[in-house]
Amino acid sequence: MFNTLEVAKDVHIHTRVTDQFKTVNFSLKLRRPLKVEEAAERTVLTNVLQHSNAQFPSTASMRMYLDDLYGTVLYLDTSKKGNEHVVILNVETVNDQYLKNSDVLSKVLELMHTVLFEPNFENGTFKENIVAREKEMVKERIQSIFDDKSRYAQNRLTKILAPNHPASISANGTIPDVEAITLQSLTDTYQRMLAEDVVDIYVVGDIDETKMVEELKKALPFGDRKSSLTITEIPKIQPTDTYVKEKQDMKQGKLHIGFSTPVFFKDVDFPKMQIFNGIFGGYPHSKLFMNVREKESMAYYCSSSYSAQYGLVYVMSGIDVENEKRTLQLIDEQLLAMQQGEITDLEMTQTKAMLQNQLKEALDSARGQIEIYDQYKDLDEDFNVEAWQTKWQAVTKEDVVAMAKQLHKETVYFLSGMEDEK
Amino acid sequence: METIRFDQLDETLYYEKLENGLEVYILPKKGFSKTFVTFTTKYGSVDRSFIPLGEQQAITVPDGIAHFLEHKMFEKEDGDVFQKFSEYGASANAFTSFARTAYLFSATNHVYESTETLLNFVQEPYFTEKTVNKEKGIIGQEITMYDDQPDWRLYFGTIENMFKEHPVKIDIAGTVESIDQITAEHLYTCYYTFYHPSNMLLFAIGALEPEKMIEVIRENQKKKEFAKPTPIKRIGVNEPSEVAIPERSLRMDVLKSKVSVGLKAKETSLSGREMLKHELAISLALDILFGRSSDFYTKVYEEGLIDESYSYDFSLEQGFGFAMIGSDTHQPDKLVQAIKDQLKKTEQNWPFGEEELERVKRRRIGFHLRALNSIEYIANQFTRYKFNDMNLFDSVAAIEELTLADVKQAFQSLQGESQQTVFKILPLKDSTKTDSESEGSKA
Repeated sequence: MFNTLEVAKDVHIHTRVTDQFKTVNFSLKLRRPLKVEEAAERTVLTNVLQHSNAQFPSTASMRMYLDDLYGTVLYLDTSKKGNEHVVILNVETVNDQYLKNSDVLSKVLELMHTVLFEPNFENGTFKENIVAREKEMVKERIQSIFDDKSRYAQNRLTKILAPNHPASISANGTIPDVEAITLQSLTDTYQRMLAEDVVDIYVVGDIDETKMVEELKKALPFGDRKSSLTITEIPKIQPTDTYVKEKQDMKQGKLHIGFSTPVFFKDVDFPKMQIFNGIFGGYPHSKLFMNVREKESMAYYCSSSYSAQYGLVYVMSGIDVENEKRTLQLIDEQLLAMQQGEITDLEMTQTKAMLQNQLKEALDSARGQIEIYDQYKDLDEDFNVEAWQTKWQAVTKEDVVAMAKQLHKETVYFLSGMEDEK
Repeated sequence: METIRFDQLDETLYYEKLENGLEVYILPKKGFSKTFVTFTTKYGSVDRSFIPLGEQQAITVPDGIAHFLEHKMFEKEDGDVFQKFSEYGASANAFTSFARTAYLFSATNHVYESTETLLNFVQEPYFTEKTVNKEKGIIGQEITMYDDQPDWRLYFGTIENMFKEHPVKIDIAGTVESIDQITAEHLYTCYYTFYHPSNMLLFAIGALEPEKMIEVIRENQKKKEFAKPTPIKRIGVNEPSEVAIPERSLRMDVLKSKVSVGLKAKETSLSGREMLKHELAISLALDILFGRSSDFYTKVYEEGLIDESYSYDFSLEQGFGFAMIGSDTHQPDKLVQAIKDQLKKTEQNWPFGEEELERVKRRRIGFHLRALNSIEYIANQFTRYKFNDMNLFDSVAAIEELTLADVKQAFQSLQGESQQTVFKILPLKDSTKTDSESEGSKA
């Protein structure tokens, strides 16, 4: 799908030439092992780089320039992938051919260089007022999870289910770690990132491939990486509790359940676990949707998701407080039914069809192409849709039963309103 | 079937109006593997008072009924329609907005079968008292879920403040109490009044053959009988131009306050190209005044009055329109003052020139071209534009034509202190009480 070129040790450029889109998309990914303190440093760093550099010291001057480049979208972000922390620079710009007269693309490449390699330094470090402001912004972002009750409940569940584990470490870091950042520590983090992180540069669009690679090498001059960044195995989760109830001033109860499985993304059983999850609660034809919602009218949503990077399955539902026990029982019944082989041919066909459709649909956007390739390229095989279709087709009912039997319920978390509210 | 060519964008659109009045638009997209089809009726939450098909007397139906009807379309005598779509590997969905109800699916396989399924399930209503009552529990949970979302409460609280009479102020899903009154008979009445093919539009886009798609749709529609198309009689309201409530707040379990300034539009009667130019001009004005490259933004960002949640937006349909500017903030009153000052400055003397306009025009053109990568965006927006007699693919050309005079003139629709309202969400435990505090109106 992509043509890959290693331009320095552990620095890869992946190109995909296509006339499918009216824009050109770039994605730069910088990875290193996930550490909680570093997550905060790297998140504040992305904010600082996004809002200020040597050429465009203020947010407004940067934004004005992006507006002039036909509203080119440029943003930095952080995420995690398994045991790695990832700094991302995403850029999307209009393809010159749809504009009357302009040379946007080469300016955008220069700008990517500016953002990453021309920081707004003063006496060898980032500027105090900008760092202070962006630390505040990141703190606010971390805190804002509290105000979104579904996200908050999921966050609490993972903290109880997998404390001090990559599954529960936030890519944004913690508030104390943000507060501890100094001008020097942030500058060191920045320099370490540029020198040491493993680099993947993606570009998708109607481009001249050879010319683009040359321009990218010039705009993003990353040298050889040291081979010291070894990624460790994902550790086993150790939940602190099996059942936690908490209360806030709210109306709907949020029921979140965490299950462990021995099946991870890189395992041969991965496609089987995907089918299990699809039948269990992944789609509107699934057992959770059909029974908890449609049959029992308990909830507007009740679904499961499979976090293959960490070998975890989550179930989440929004319910009336008094239906807590009944809903838990219904969810248990659906899993038990699958463990006992109550799986229809129709459920198998539907789930396989939906998985195929989902993968093909995701590949219809440039961002989807980049993200899927970025994930699947780590497997020891070339990625293609047909190969995955074949894997899903080969999965039998017995396989799905075997997956269901390997699910272990670890933690139930229930966030609900105050009693006197009802 | 007619074809409409958009050279600058390199797109060809196919169009046909069927005998039963259904308008069909088809846009093949090269390089895509999915197809996305929407089937939309010009019927939304604001259509609550009307004369039912074949009757004389106007009625007012319970709040939330358009959304309730949308939910109930998926259930048939032989089960749930999702099951059928899943067999084809198609993802189906639906949504109800103020002015539209849309049913849709996306698929990479069995596209024509899925299109027939879509047409059939939307054109074969099946409501019983039993299935209607069962849905009340599900929608009740949906309403409760939204009640706990501070951003939704902020959005709707601001709308409630702005409108005195217009049903746009009623939550799209209604309330637990209002949906309890809904019966199967209500649903049939609404269905037959608003789901006639002549009030609907089908848009198909993606990996498809236009000739084959139109043939499938034509054949499907030929087999069905519909009443003669009759004009729908909606009962309008007299909405004053000033806001209903200038300021209100609500306490919720949040850590940080949220505030929104609403600007109620005076001009809500345009359609066609005039409306397109008008709404684009207002968007450009907002970009200049409140965009991320504005002096205003720099000031409030640097003073810490806003954070990353900051946003502004303009919505316009026939009969109502509004802009909103807001953010999470620790200093709601200061932020409100800054927004009002910026508006006041604009009223006295438009402080921006050609250079700023040129820049935000480029930004908007880029936005429209980027959006044309998304077949979901095209399908949803094309329908909205068409229902207002506008054409989505005219946007870029319309932006290019706009002058500073157009922008200033259009923005007058939002100007005036009596057009402004403020809604705040405040933390439960908060020392900074504001003068204007009152209890939220919804429980």
